[in-house]
Amino acid sequence: MTRLWSASRLTYLALALSALLSVFPIYWMFVVASRTSDAMGQVPPPLTPGGNLGANIARLFDNTDAYFLTGLINSAIVAVTVTFSVVLFSTLAGFAFAKLRFRGRNALLLAIVATMMVPTQLGVIPLYLLMTKLNWNDRLPAVIVPALVTGFGVFMMRQYAGQAVSSELIEAARMDGCNTARIYWNVVLPALRPAAAVLGLLTFMTTWNDFLWPYAVLNDPENPTVQLSLRALSDGYYQDMSQVFTGTAIATLPLLLVFVLFGRQIIGGIMEGAVKA
Amino acid sequence: MLTFTRRRLAAVAVVAVTALLGTTGCGGGDEATADGPVTLTVDVFGQFGYADLYQEYMASHPDVKIVERGTGSNLDEYSPKLTQWLAAGKGAGDVVAIEEGLLVEYKADPQNFVNLLDHGAADLKGNFLDWKWNQGLTADGKQLIGLGTDVGGMAMCYRKDLFAKAGLPTDREAVSGLWPTWQDYIKVGEQFTAKKTGASFLDAATNTFNTILLQTAGNSSGYSYYDTGNNLVVGSNPAVKQAYDTTMDIIDSGLSGKYGSWSEEWVSAFKQSKFATIACPAWMTGVIEGNAGPGAKGKWDIAQIPGDGGNWGGSFLAVPKQSKHQAEAIELAKFLTSAKGQIGAFKLKGPLPSSPQALADPAILDSKNAYFSEAPVGKIFAEGAKNLKPVYMGPKNQAVRTEVENAVRTVELGKRSPQQGWTDAVSNAEKAAAK
Amino acid sequence: MAVQLDARPPVAPAPRHSRPLRGARLSRFDTKYSPYLYIAPFFLLFGVFGAYPLAYTFWVSLHDWDLLGAEHPFIGLDNYSQLLADPDFWHSVVNTLGIFVISTVPQLLAALWLANLLNRRLRARTTWRMAVLVPNVTSTAAVAIVFAVLFGRDFGMINWLLDHVGISAIDWKANRFAAWVAISTMVDWRWTGYNALIFLAAMQAIPRDLYESAAIDGAGRARQFWSITVPLLKPTIVFAVIISTIGGLQLFTEPRMFNSGTNAIRGGPLRESQTVTMYMFENAFAPHYNFGYGSAIAWLLFALIAVVAAINVLFLRRLGGGSRKEVSR
Repeated sequence: MTRLWSASRLTYLALALSALLSVFPIYWMFVVASRTSDAMGQVPPPLTPGGNLGANIARLFDNTDAYFLTGLINSAIVAVTVTFSVVLFSTLAGFAFAKLRFRGRNALLLAIVATMMVPTQLGVIPLYLLMTKLNWNDRLPAVIVPALVTGFGVFMMRQYAGQAVSSELIEAARMDGCNTARIYWNVVLPALRPAAAVLGLLTFMTTWNDFLWPYAVLNDPENPTVQLSLRALSDGYYQDMSQVFTGTAIATLPLLLVFVLFGRQIIGGIMEGAVKA
Repeated sequence: MLTFTRRRLAAVAVVAVTALLGTTGCGGGDEATADGPVTLTVDVFGQFGYADLYQEYMASHPDVKIVERGTGSNLDEYSPKLTQWLAAGKGAGDVVAIEEGLLVEYKADPQNFVNLLDHGAADLKGNFLDWKWNQGLTADGKQLIGLGTDVGGMAMCYRKDLFAKAGLPTDREAVSGLWPTWQDYIKVGEQFTAKKTGASFLDAATNTFNTILLQTAGNSSGYSYYDTGNNLVVGSNPAVKQAYDTTMDIIDSGLSGKYGSWSEEWVSAFKQSKFATIACPAWMTGVIEGNAGPGAKGKWDIAQIPGDGGNWGGSFLAVPKQSKHQAEAIELAKFLTSAKGQIGAFKLKGPLPSSPQALADPAILDSKNAYFSEAPVGKIFAEGAKNLKPVYMGPKNQAVRTEVENAVRTVELGKRSPQQGWTDAVSNAEKAAAK
Repeated sequence: MAVQLDARPPVAPAPRHSRPLRGARLSRFDTKYSPYLYIAPFFLLFGVFGAYPLAYTFWVSLHDWDLLGAEHPFIGLDNYSQLLADPDFWHSVVNTLGIFVISTVPQLLAALWLANLLNRRLRARTTWRMAVLVPNVTSTAAVAIVFAVLFGRDFGMINWLLDHVGISAIDWKANRFAAWVAISTMVDWRWTGYNALIFLAAMQAIPRDLYESAAIDGAGRARQFWSITVPLLKPTIVFAVIISTIGGLQLFTEPRMFNSGTNAIRGGPLRESQTVTMYMFENAFAPHYNFGYGSAIAWLLFALIAVVAAINVLFLRRLGGGSRKEVSR
């Protein structure tokens, strides 16, 4: 590969400006979260953190109306469960589609690709009726179970398995008498790990952020996800904006943490997915 | 600090376990068994001020555990949820709060609720203002859906510091004397505006419109958007048009800060002292305190409402049929709506009692609100409450009200002329009522 | 999106001779049927919670289906004909399309530009990439609350900044076009970096010698960008546009949280920023609970997405058609 264009000062300046725009709203969220509620509407707006973050956090968790702690825990339960399930089922199906031969394979794969094009959130009404029938309204299974599989995950794993899992290894394992389940566990899963990790991270973030469906089906104010707690905080009878912003900051924190720790992998995953898709 | 953290951790663990078991979401307290304690769920919105009463009740009823849900939530959020729970046949609390504007809607399906008359409630009639009692009855008078909690007697809350800045009197008697009528209120507003304090005279036209409407309707026909035969009369009831026109005068005079009620802007405007008066039903005092924050303590005061009386808001407690602990729930509802219960709620969060005994009680009459410059809130609100003239509200009252107030808002924002706004109000209200 | 259905030959089960009979039968069963076991979870779960609801949506849309009503009479296409004559529905369609256009076009251009910047020899490469991607990993509802405050009429930072350059306060929520711009800003803030990385990946796959020969022919950087990079990126751009279409036309969280206070689901007193999904929600859930009507909205929205996606693809095909020859010259 020949050399890339070099970056001029102007490039750096433009990038710095873009980075500033990207980061500023997040930064400002933490600024307001660390001040008293008088910061709302001040002119000029405050741009540096204050010393009230601890007090705001304490008040937020003591605020019995928002069930913020329950929201955090619920979101963690939902996001972790969904992430594990999506990764498990996607790697299984991805492996099958990439490496196993069976009747109807191509048609079924096409069907999965087609599901990615279908806006499933348009199904909220019957899904709501279904949950009522299952008696899952207001309960976590209502937001967990429909998210347990994604077409995107299967497709991503299938694309990755195609190149990352060596057919020779699979064959060798078969010769050794491994059945398909053992092959999945001993050969395929280790090879898929990098991509599975990225899929897991992306799934975790999407699930953590989900709003429309929980908003429709979780009506019990005592049992919200964290995004619903935020809505309750910001739509309350009266609002304490520093508390609302503390809530938004805390709801964002797990995502930022994941991003800081695994940013490189996430970026790699997004970029690889782009080339293959 | 350590104990603090440990307690929090323990709380995390407990919540995690309950969430996993999926018990928190079932409402209705159906996890209780025959021999164990009964958990009663109370669904409310806003602030009903029951926390202390629960403690007292649980102390005298060791077999009952009370959980309140929805505290601090907006009525717009709460009532649809209740509708969903009632329709689904599960999910609702054992005791549910119903706001008067929505009561008629729920009365249309009385089978969803326990008939309190079957449970000895008839004896309690004397504990409530007559009209409040009657509102809780179905049209045929045979079923009592709900027991009254509070009424929304009205006053005008104002900022003393801003009034002083504009050279207006600050004493509550003197301020009340400034505005016997709404036209006087507008004149005061014009004086205030001329002094350029950097604040508007009032927060928004929509809340003020509803105040004027309920007052005008109470003093004339006794109904607003619907007549007592449940016919939509938005366009033909003179009370509605009169209230609309008065509101238009307020808008024309440029008195409104145009902060959309309940929005973030509105909250910030409280914080930044951006308006001087706000129409103030009894329950609004708690909202003001919450929004304006401790920094504004002592800057607010309460005067008489312009015009004559009026009632805005007030709720009922009902027991859904789906409750698995109806007997216990009924007993709790009776306790919370008793004169004693109403006084307790008033002391904590300020909702004005609907019980004549409570209204005459020194605990109410002598009460002062420290946040509002030690204003004798008990006296101010209670005196008017006995002479309140209720307004009848029809089946789609809330939806219709939303449309009309949206029309007022579009005029306030300069998007529509008053004439266009009125046309919109009537036609959109008709559309909403038909949906 | 180019889906390669047969990227690699699947592994055929190796012929086996030396195994005991029982094992062989088991293993034949294993190779023949276990693949179905592996893909079954997806199809079962998706069938119940994805496909069935969509189909059932259509069934519901043919009924007068009120949440509170005990009966749901069949009414054929009445919901649809009522909907087609419903000005509030079309209003929300225009809002959605308006927001879609003024968010997607600048977003993709900015992403191209950003990708072009990132596709250079940079110090701290990963840091820059992370910086532009970070909006994408934040919580949508949280950020929408922050932006709603930034776009406040009286107390918002944006109006405060505009005031410095002599622009008087804009009422971002009450002015329809301004509300579109504000919501588009939220969308773009979240997705520009993500798309830039996707474009960057595609740019890196372009062979360098194409640029070198173009440079020898005297083509400047800008010309190289428009005549080599952009045309070769076309499949990726189509992909990004389709993803943006599906997401953009279903927009809900941002406009819902942008509006606070009374009847936020309407997107303002004159429905200034109500999207189709919000309108569906308003009708299907609070305050109207008309599931039949809401389902009809869902299906029309689905149709709208399909139509817009198709138009996009056709338009982009046509657009790129001329320049491709130049490249392969």
